[in-house]
Amino acid sequence: MSEQKPEVDYGKIGLKSGLEIHQQLDTKKLFCNCPSVLRKDEPDFIVKRKLHAVAGESGEVDIAAKHEASLDREFSYEGYDTTCLFELDEEPCHEINQEALKIALQISLLLNAKILSIAQVMRKTVVDGSNTSGFQRTVLIARDGFVETQSGRVGIATICLEEDSARIIGDKGGEKIAVYRLDRLGIPLIEIATEPEIKTPEQAKEVALHIGEILRSAKVKRGLGTIRQDVNLSIKTGKRVELKGFQDISNIERAMGTEVKRQQDLVRKGKSISEVRKVLPNGVSEFLRPMPGAARMYPETDLPLLKISRDMINEAKKNLPRLKKDIESELASHGLNKEMTSLLLKENKVEDFKELMKVVENPQVVAKVLLIYPKEISAREKIPLNKTEKILNKDVLVNVLENLKKGKISEGDLKHVLSRILIEVARGGDHDRTFEIKKEDSSSVEEKIMKIIKDKPGLSFNAYMGIVMKQFKGQISGNEAAEIIKKYVK
Amino acid sequence: MKKPIIVKQRPQPGDLVEVHLIKVIYEGTLLEVPEDERGVVLLKLDSGYNIGFNRKDILEIKLLKRFEKKEEKYEVKKDDEKPNIAMIITGGTIAARLNPKKGGTDWLTSPEDLFKFYHGIFDKVNVIKIEIPFMKASEDMDFRDWKKIAMTAEKLLNDSNIKGVIITHGTDFLHYTSSALSFFLKNLNKPVVLTYSQRSTDRASSDANLNLQCAAIAAISDIAEVMLVGHASTNDDYCYAMPGTKVRKLHSSRRDAFKVVNGKPFAKIFSDRIEILREYNRRHSGKVKLDAKFEEKVALVKFYPGQDPSILDYYLKNKYKGIVLEMGGLGHVSTMRARKGWIKKLRDVQKKGVIICAAAQTIYGRLDPLVYSNGRDIMKTGVIYLEDMLAETALVKLSWVLGHKDWAKNKEKIKEMMLTNMANELNDRLEE
Repeated sequence: MSEQKPEVDYGKIGLKSGLEIHQQLDTKKLFCNCPSVLRKDEPDFIVKRKLHAVAGESGEVDIAAKHEASLDREFSYEGYDTTCLFELDEEPCHEINQEALKIALQISLLLNAKILSIAQVMRKTVVDGSNTSGFQRTVLIARDGFVETQSGRVGIATICLEEDSARIIGDKGGEKIAVYRLDRLGIPLIEIATEPEIKTPEQAKEVALHIGEILRSAKVKRGLGTIRQDVNLSIKTGKRVELKGFQDISNIERAMGTEVKRQQDLVRKGKSISEVRKVLPNGVSEFLRPMPGAARMYPETDLPLLKISRDMINEAKKNLPRLKKDIESELASHGLNKEMTSLLLKENKVEDFKELMKVVENPQVVAKVLLIYPKEISAREKIPLNKTEKILNKDVLVNVLENLKKGKISEGDLKHVLSRILIEVARGGDHDRTFEIKKEDSSSVEEKIMKIIKDKPGLSFNAYMGIVMKQFKGQISGNEAAEIIKKYVK
Repeated sequence: MKKPIIVKQRPQPGDLVEVHLIKVIYEGTLLEVPEDERGVVLLKLDSGYNIGFNRKDILEIKLLKRFEKKEEKYEVKKDDEKPNIAMIITGGTIAARLNPKKGGTDWLTSPEDLFKFYHGIFDKVNVIKIEIPFMKASEDMDFRDWKKIAMTAEKLLNDSNIKGVIITHGTDFLHYTSSALSFFLKNLNKPVVLTYSQRSTDRASSDANLNLQCAAIAAISDIAEVMLVGHASTNDDYCYAMPGTKVRKLHSSRRDAFKVVNGKPFAKIFSDRIEILREYNRRHSGKVKLDAKFEEKVALVKFYPGQDPSILDYYLKNKYKGIVLEMGGLGHVSTMRARKGWIKKLRDVQKKGVIICAAAQTIYGRLDPLVYSNGRDIMKTGVIYLEDMLAETALVKLSWVLGHKDWAKNKEKIKEMMLTNMANELNDRLEE
């Protein structure tokens, strides 16, 4: 029998922890009109800057700011044709991106939070070089929400909308020069901070997953690096520590466990201090910087107060995104099976599905047209799936289904029609013309077949099939041809 | 003995308060609100975020704790090893600091304030005198203010303990001041360095940091000129020392907003060294002399196609003595071939004694009225073509020349003075 490790009793040691979740929104940048695209190519230009410690609004230099400025580093910023003067700290900020604000309001509503009617964009002093201005713009949008988890209700303390920082690319010449890329700077981030009500690492993971699901129902970016979690924790008589940089939720439990043990040790020695620590891939953390204070926040003087009207909130409510589980049960009510449902969600095609359902109210047919046929055709015709899906887009599918509804094509023809459209458009043709041929009245098709039979009487069924299919060059399906020929040939 | 009356005091900005709404109570520091937001109450939460409420939604604001002013001690060290300079502070972004209580800005005026924000400069020099003739944005200044700055500078420059003078100034019309000082300060003995900032001082990224360090190096250099020192590019690596008469603000927001036009900078200045780029007047032991005569009745008029020349009647009627006309191309305004030609009006106005000078709307390049017949026609009316002089510099110089009554009597003398290079304002060899 293996030896059982003694479990830590988190209640007894008084673990108090809260999560801070940062999620990128899928819009243009928060305070300028640049696209939110990450670049992998060589930069177009480099700008070199320095930052210096400044006194905050209360006159004192923030301790975290002092720490960084004391390094006296030079910062090298990589810019692209997608970078503007604002991102270079060479122009005042533009008004807050309205789409990002709307998404933030929607997320606030989904988290049952109270939206502030008057907010103020703040400058949060950050002098590690990750912001060209020396501060990060952030605005508190809502407070006092909650999420229900299996282990009880957890309060959402604050919901903020803020600028993402520039990406660190590397340190050239050791500590003296830090290289940042400006592509990520200014991408809207929503920051959700829970109350320090999380009592165990397991619960932390559950809350993170739950909030993550809510976020993914809104218009947010997907993929690695688009969501980041920080954990604040303390144990009885210890100081608060912030653990930063979880890319992967599965690391949270382990890293919290490790930090709790470290804290227990520090508390025993009376050496627990408040600081920000970076979590390494192996779950161990290292010192990053001192904990910043409130002294580092002051108003963005280039913008007026941000007033959030009733109308804006109502507008956000109007098309409030729904959670995955709600969508799943709705799709199930349409009669769609589990596999198709999860495929729809995975491929982010729920909206397309609903629109196609408006044309033909048959979930099986719609799911085939949307999810199955494009893949099959793409494989058969050796045309890449992304190109296939671009050609067989929603509008084309609507058109095809409308023809099905009108009885111009049959259900059995769908795959064939889609395949023809794909080949035609991929060849540089246009799918409307494909339809024109296809749209040929079935009665005129019948007329032509009749004429063929009349011209060459006495042949076998198979012979007529051969002639008809050759003449129509795939404009009609085999089934269709067979049905008509059967009418005239015994 | 009477008992003191206890007055329930109203919470003031800076106080810790509770804001009671119908359902919630918020605790935080009360802030001052901007002028145009009187219906709003602003609160700074403990987290640092500011939030607002409509005054009408508030049931009560309860005072928890009065604001206590923290006395900060900053020691400005004087070091006998370092050279001494003086500063003239006149306003602008570089001298403004955010006041958290107000949400607005205050002026930085004491050496302690300066040290707190720009300690980099104090590593290089001792700032032994700070003069504040006034605090104004540059758009609020005029000839009298420029004269006041010149008088202040004269006094400091003739103090043998001072190696050079730094003047901090708003950017928008800084090049007018630099021109004025270039003409007003005769026999200049030491560096006069104007500098600025385009990014506010609260930012760790403020350009003022490098600008001031480079200004300090310029102020103790050998260059006895009126110069504008500021970022050479968007990088925080070096500044240019630009001639006061040959510089113009050419960008509304960039750090390197100022460029030398039709000329070259005196020097390239890094935070730790200076590289000379062209000839300059060297510092000497003589005394600077103030020659700050000026004529306020001068105007700068920009011509545009289709403009009615009768606009000049306004200036005539209001007894203007001189006009700098910003012309297109090599020096053209509409002629008799246009529906609203200017030739006749130019002739009439000059006949009545108004001096008309031509400067280039193109900003870069030299005027030449001889290339096209239109130019020759305009020149024949008596307009003084100012070569490659910047229009803004031309306005200041025309005022200064016309301010000298003995010169102003005679048009030929005025023309001669306008076309004599006094302070680098003319360059007979354009390379770009």
